[in-house]
Amino acid sequence: MTLTLPSAREEAWRWTDLSGLPAIVAAVPDAGRDALALAAMPAAIASERTDTRLLFVDGVLHSSSTPGRVRLSAVDARTDHALGRHATADGWTLDLAPGQIANVEVVHVATGAASHVPAHVILAPDAVASVTETFVGDGWTNRFFRAELGKGARLMRAVRLLHASGFQSLRDEALLGEGASLVATVLGAGEGSSRVDALVTIAGEQAFAEYGGAMLARGEQRHEAAAVVRHAAPHGQSHQSWRAVADDRAVASLAARVEVARHAQKTDGIQSLKGLLLKRTATVNIKPELEIFADDVKCAHGATVGELDRQSLFYLASRGVDPARARAILTRAFVADALDRIGEEAVRDAFVADADRWLDA
Amino acid sequence: MLEINNLHAEVDGKPILNGLSLSVNAGEVHAIMGPNGAGKSTLAYVLGGRPGYDVTGGSVTLDGADLLEMEPHERAAAGLFLGFQYPVEIPGVSNVQFLREAANAQRAARGEPALSGADFLRLAKAQAEGLSMSMDMMKRPVNVGFSGGEKKRAEMVQMGILDPKLAILDETDSGLDIDALRIVGDGIERIMRKPDRAVILITHYQRLLDHVRPDQVHILSAGRIVRSGGPELAHALEREGYAALGLEDARS
Repeated sequence: MTLTLPSAREEAWRWTDLSGLPAIVAAVPDAGRDALALAAMPAAIASERTDTRLLFVDGVLHSSSTPGRVRLSAVDARTDHALGRHATADGWTLDLAPGQIANVEVVHVATGAASHVPAHVILAPDAVASVTETFVGDGWTNRFFRAELGKGARLMRAVRLLHASGFQSLRDEALLGEGASLVATVLGAGEGSSRVDALVTIAGEQAFAEYGGAMLARGEQRHEAAAVVRHAAPHGQSHQSWRAVADDRAVASLAARVEVARHAQKTDGIQSLKGLLLKRTATVNIKPELEIFADDVKCAHGATVGELDRQSLFYLASRGVDPARARAILTRAFVADALDRIGEEAVRDAFVADADRWLDA
Repeated sequence: MLEINNLHAEVDGKPILNGLSLSVNAGEVHAIMGPNGAGKSTLAYVLGGRPGYDVTGGSVTLDGADLLEMEPHERAAAGLFLGFQYPVEIPGVSNVQFLREAANAQRAARGEPALSGADFLRLAKAQAEGLSMSMDMMKRPVNVGFSGGEKKRAEMVQMGILDPKLAILDETDSGLDIDALRIVGDGIERIMRKPDRAVILITHYQRLLDHVRPDQVHILSAGRIVRSGGPELAHALEREGYAALGLEDARS
């Protein structure tokens, strides 16, 4: 496959290092790796409500999956996104009728090669879906996720990037109808690098979108989240809350944009981007953008980058907590509110455990 | 228990403590008073090991061990508790989580087994009740949204849970109304008035000493102790002020 990748000379890609991808594309999957053992490594999400479990090994559905309501075939969704457009293989589709409910858990295992899988979620009015995705292994896992939410539909989405090495790229596109609600949380807590791109369009009145998460980077890792919320209808609410943590020589980047169209009056958009540098050799890039054409809107944004508070560190030390643990506690507190928004307790607990494992390592 | 000998310390290159010596025995409560700028808080921070407070001479031992050689968290495990004049707010970390981490870190450092969640909560509840704090408050982030008095009560709950040998309480009475002062004073008495415990109270006012009667009172001025006596010394100060003793506010 010939692969055209975006260049770091392009503004939207200047913080992303895609130079390792051609080598991964040329690699073959490691058939000797035990995919089930790899999939079992992250904290299991023991949610009783899960009715659909999908395990993809190098982009191919594993026989242990229980597809439930999901259809596995060519996906009727395309994107022109620079990485997402490569996800043209067979993928999965969740198509819920009005009022239907589904709880989907997807685990993607990579054994050293590249895979590109699309997904399409269509929620009819008042349908409710929860989609949790976990990425483990080594290689390049490239995913395109498209969601269409009908009137009053709700989608809870939680994604954790836990690769041991390599690269994970995710392109999310969501279209929200009237009164629909999307709550999406991304956690980057592996040892690979990543790029998360999102475009959420508020297309119906009074829709609600929360898109955010925590990206934890150390060593030579590079994590980047680039999210756009486009308000194209009045009375929409959006909340983008991202936390970036960078240690060693790592780079964690956040670019978040709110766009408010001329007729999208009474929009309420909140953006909170915070970076934490654990070492002075690390880098956090933060780029908040507001593009507002309507005149009656409320858009608040905050962007900060800092180090751990010295007074808090001494306070913890004075009570007997050693410096490494004190730093972990304060770093955990820094990312906590980005994970608190995950509604389902079992999912939230698993994500918090992953973040803790990263912090304690 | 605590032996401070000819201690010199500076902050930002400025000498603050200039040959301070003090001996505190187990079972004793000492009060340190003195005008603003005398070095009272600096003494507390130097003993706690706060970064930026540099010891330039002298020695400090706690039960014979060299305190100045220890990291701040090691001093805590060795039995030192520092009560902060301005307790620090830590958003995102609950009092319960903070204290369980602290208690178990100290226990681990001393080779003791960790407290279970249930045992810790029982201990926390008992100590919180002793200072009229609800467990709801204990579940809130450390000092966030607490009034001045609540912060000081929370500090005493911390002291009760951590059960130190020696507490250095830096203006624990500041910002307290009369009721809170009684609650905090009773808490200090209950937690620390024991034959194997000791307390250094740093204060400006006699009123805390009505609740926690000191065995010795010291007056600190220009970085050294210039006078020591019994509780009557604090009364004399309250009546006559520092000027009558020939001492002036170092900042004025």
